[in-house]
Amino acid sequence: MRVPLSWLRDYVDFDLPPERLAERLTLLGMEVGSIEHIGADWSSVVVGELLEVTPHPRADRLSLTKVRVSSSDQPLAIVCGATNIAVGQRVPVALPGAVLPGGRGIAVTTIAGSESQGMLCSGAELGLTTDAEGILILAGADGQDGLADLTLGRPLADVVGDTVLDVDVKPNRGDALSLIGLAREVAAITGGQVRWPDITVPESGDATNDHLWVEVADKRLCPRFVGRYVDGLAIGPSPLAVQLRLSAAGMRPVSNAVDASNYVMLELGKPIHVFDAGVVSGGTVIVRPARDGERLETLDHVERQLTPETLVIADSGGPIGIAGVMGGAGSEVGPQTAAAIIESAVFDAVSIRRTAQRYGLRSEASLRFEKGQESRMARVGADRTAQLLAQWAGGRVAVGVVDTNPADEPARRVSFRPARVSRLLGQSIATAEMRAALARVQIATEGADDDETLTAVVPTHRRDIDIEEDVTEEIIRVIGYEELAPRLPDTAMPAYRHEPSRLVNRLRDTLAGRGLVEVLSNGLIGPIDHARLGLAADDVATIRVANPVTIDHSELRRSLLPGLIGVLARNERQRRPDVAIFELGAVHEWRDGQPLQTEMLGLLMAGDWRAASWAEPARPASIDDLKGVLEAVVERFNAGRLEYRPTAPLAGVEHPGRIAEIHAAGTDRVVLGRVGELDPRFLGSYEVRAERAVFGLIDLSALADLAQGTIQIKRVDHLPAVERDLAVVVARDTPAADVEQVIRANGGASLVRVTLFDRYQGAPLEANQVSLAYRLRYQPAAEPLGEAVIEESIAQVSAALAREVGGRIRSAG
Amino acid sequence: MNLETFSKQLDELRARALAAIAKADDPPELEQVESAFLGRKGELRTLLGAIGQLPGPDRPKVGAMANPIREEVEAAIAVRRARLVEIALDVRLAREKVDVTLPGRALPRGALHPIAETEREIAHIFGQFGFVTYETPEVETDELNFQLLNIPADHPARDLWDTLYVAGTDRRYLLRTHTSPGQMRVMRAHQPPIRSLAPGRCYRYEQVDSSHGFEFFQVEGLMVDEGTTMAHLRGLLDEFAHAMFGVGTGTRFRPGYYPFTEPSVAFDISCTICGGVGCAACRRTGWLTILGAGMVHPIVLRNGGIDPERFQGFAFGMGIDRIAMLRHGIPDIRAFLEADMRFLERF
Repeated sequence: MRVPLSWLRDYVDFDLPPERLAERLTLLGMEVGSIEHIGADWSSVVVGELLEVTPHPRADRLSLTKVRVSSSDQPLAIVCGATNIAVGQRVPVALPGAVLPGGRGIAVTTIAGSESQGMLCSGAELGLTTDAEGILILAGADGQDGLADLTLGRPLADVVGDTVLDVDVKPNRGDALSLIGLAREVAAITGGQVRWPDITVPESGDATNDHLWVEVADKRLCPRFVGRYVDGLAIGPSPLAVQLRLSAAGMRPVSNAVDASNYVMLELGKPIHVFDAGVVSGGTVIVRPARDGERLETLDHVERQLTPETLVIADSGGPIGIAGVMGGAGSEVGPQTAAAIIESAVFDAVSIRRTAQRYGLRSEASLRFEKGQESRMARVGADRTAQLLAQWAGGRVAVGVVDTNPADEPARRVSFRPARVSRLLGQSIATAEMRAALARVQIATEGADDDETLTAVVPTHRRDIDIEEDVTEEIIRVIGYEELAPRLPDTAMPAYRHEPSRLVNRLRDTLAGRGLVEVLSNGLIGPIDHARLGLAADDVATIRVANPVTIDHSELRRSLLPGLIGVLARNERQRRPDVAIFELGAVHEWRDGQPLQTEMLGLLMAGDWRAASWAEPARPASIDDLKGVLEAVVERFNAGRLEYRPTAPLAGVEHPGRIAEIHAAGTDRVVLGRVGELDPRFLGSYEVRAERAVFGLIDLSALADLAQGTIQIKRVDHLPAVERDLAVVVARDTPAADVEQVIRANGGASLVRVTLFDRYQGAPLEANQVSLAYRLRYQPAAEPLGEAVIEESIAQVSAALAREVGGRIRSAG
Repeated sequence: MNLETFSKQLDELRARALAAIAKADDPPELEQVESAFLGRKGELRTLLGAIGQLPGPDRPKVGAMANPIREEVEAAIAVRRARLVEIALDVRLAREKVDVTLPGRALPRGALHPIAETEREIAHIFGQFGFVTYETPEVETDELNFQLLNIPADHPARDLWDTLYVAGTDRRYLLRTHTSPGQMRVMRAHQPPIRSLAPGRCYRYEQVDSSHGFEFFQVEGLMVDEGTTMAHLRGLLDEFAHAMFGVGTGTRFRPGYYPFTEPSVAFDISCTICGGVGCAACRRTGWLTILGAGMVHPIVLRNGGIDPERFQGFAFGMGIDRIAMLRHGIPDIRAFLEADMRFLERF
């Protein structure tokens, strides 16, 4: 809500400077988002009088003018392109050296061969109105319709300059979407009184009933309708002062009749509609739901198909407006309009909100209706509009009103317990102080100061106060939160709870400590991303957004891979091809009719894992590096060992020869996730330049299940360990994991570690053979291991290798 | 040969041996010297072999004369050997000189995301006051995200949250627009005393610019018991602001509006850019709003299964993105999800 302070002063007195007023309003809950000073960006723009206007000899569309900006000096010769100027008018003159909004400088120039000593300004050039066609006429040639105090040479900022506060009115305070509403808030600050405009309607001639008949089909959807009839109208522009006020408040001036309704809406918060009475057939206005098939062209010249959920204003011929949202183009007040019907109604808030949403028409009117309207303002608004129409458009107001529900609603009564108010706030406030605070916002209180329960009598404009807590807020907001003394919690503590985030944070620390960079990518990805993962466009498990911002972010991710690849692609474009990243995030899908959220760890490496340096050459990231990181994580969590098992690749996504399932060793093959290289075609679809990228995807809950909470030591080793190396030759296609498994299973109880330290192919081995060299580490427990025990273990292992994987011992020792 | 000649030869042998030892420059040479004088075929043995030429009574004296000399030579060899080891080591160390100004072997950098780190810091600070973290889902029902939080369908306050709805569910499911449904989930699972946090990713229908995204991160706080007051809320948030932004940080409450709290406040801190003087970042007010809060609305408490006549409490919600931006001076919210390594590796 834009609030011109010059307008606000009509209703309340205050002597706070704008910045201070803004701060006080903010602290009262009416947050001021910005302060605009109209006229602050004008310099050397003054009031002038046109002495001469003659056609330019060489340019049809230009005029030569003589303009006086003081009674003594020589008049200025100014070339002007506007056609609305005439001798005797007072106009804004930008003198040579003047600066206009946007930093536009004015100097003496030559236009079409004539010297121009300055410029006459339009409303748009001054940033005052949107009118760029004509010069802003401050007073007519006859001195009529003039602003006050147009002394020649007076700086224009002193005449029409203003300060506008932009107030963010919260959705529960529809009553403050008006000048009078904000004046009430200012009065709460100053302790002053609100000054209502003097609303007296100059009625004459016929009775309203003679011209207007109102039928309301559904009293719930339209609890009150007040109509007035005005004829003898002369439609034209509003007085300049009115136009400037509306412009400053952010509304475009249209005509005196339309401006009157907008003026009343801004002044009183009461949306008003004015119909051209000449096109309302039979003078009968019907408020009813639209019928199927009915259509209406609204004021924005869009033809709309109406539905029975839509409340319309109709005449006997059909709809002439969508109630509370927008009028119809056919009944719009125009230059020919001689008589008008004023509609000042109250509509059901929810109905208006739904209708506005249905047609995508959030108007200033609908925004106010959907926050609820005071019944009594229906009458006040109708009277005020009629008064302004009479003043500005010379209208004759018919006697009386049509009013479907003249009874005003009663004030709401809310009981509150002062002790409870203090208990909620945590600060003891005297009852008298509470009552004084409430009085400042026009809430009367009933009861004695020492009563346990008092009653707040809430004026009808405050539709947001229903319960004791609402009263509490009014009290503390008026007293001011600065009066609330901070205290640290000293109440009961909840019992200890082990937080799942601890595991996640340890995981993050471990991965970052190993050199990976944590990233976050979008939870919403596009159908194309899922298609690249091989998921059909109509896959029933994909959770889709009904109203996405863009199609590229319209589906909840089912894998972290697209996001990670996106990070790689973006960094490559920034000439950063070496990327080692991880993300902890959720993937989503429908499962048994419910959304299922699974927390995942995703890892991706591409480019060099070790950068080239003086000490060593670069080393590209490989699947083995990624496995190493995963193993470090698992060790950190004391979660046993990992095993990798060949698995079928996800076609087009994973490298068919380099993809493994990750299993937890010795735990009935718990699957933790996948690790492998990506298919170059998948990389290519994201325009990744790297030939290779390796990835890992881990199910966090599976990892958490494996992680032992507390490390159990049981035995501290003192005896020296014994190591033996064992090289075994097996067929090349024998999985190394199988070989290692055989060694571990047969090495005996003392064998604590098996490390593959060499892998050899080539002479003297046969082409289909490979030599795997393991270092076996034995840890004695109670007494040193004799040589015989070690020999026995090696013998057992050797025999088992021969038996189970066809291994031949190449060397042992 | 007599004893005197023998003694003279012995002395002469000693002198030559000590001289040779002193001259030996490396361990092999010293070993040669040792063997030449003290070895099985060495000079000392040879000389002692001639003992038969001495008169019988002199023979026992030979040992007494020769032993000290052998011991002296052996000692000299040991000293020289140790010295040669020292010298050799000195030579090797001298040869091993490197350019110590060379940089170290770089390890990969590693970094933690500022959103996640800020979330951890927030949880740590409130954790000191007994707040524990709960994880709540990103796909929520309209009921939990709105209705139970006192935001019925068609409530004008719904304009505060531009919602992304889940397709095919007739608006029953949505992507949570805030972490506030976390309050409801915690209340429904636990009776007071409650001190909880619910962090996570949220979604809104929002055009992306330097301060908005359709995905962002929030953390919700909730504290409920018999005597939790607004003064406690203020005290706790002051502590938080001081811990997160420094002890000199100014704070204030101003009235706000949320349907699920009453009274509702916005919590402002003195501008982290200008220190409260007024600048573009704080729109010349000197204040920056970092979170919304309030006393949990009695309807919300009741919906959470908590008796509002007996219990009262507060809730607060803050944007982790915003806190991280203020804390680290990050000018553009898009940096968080763009994941440029130049940005992330700073953390």
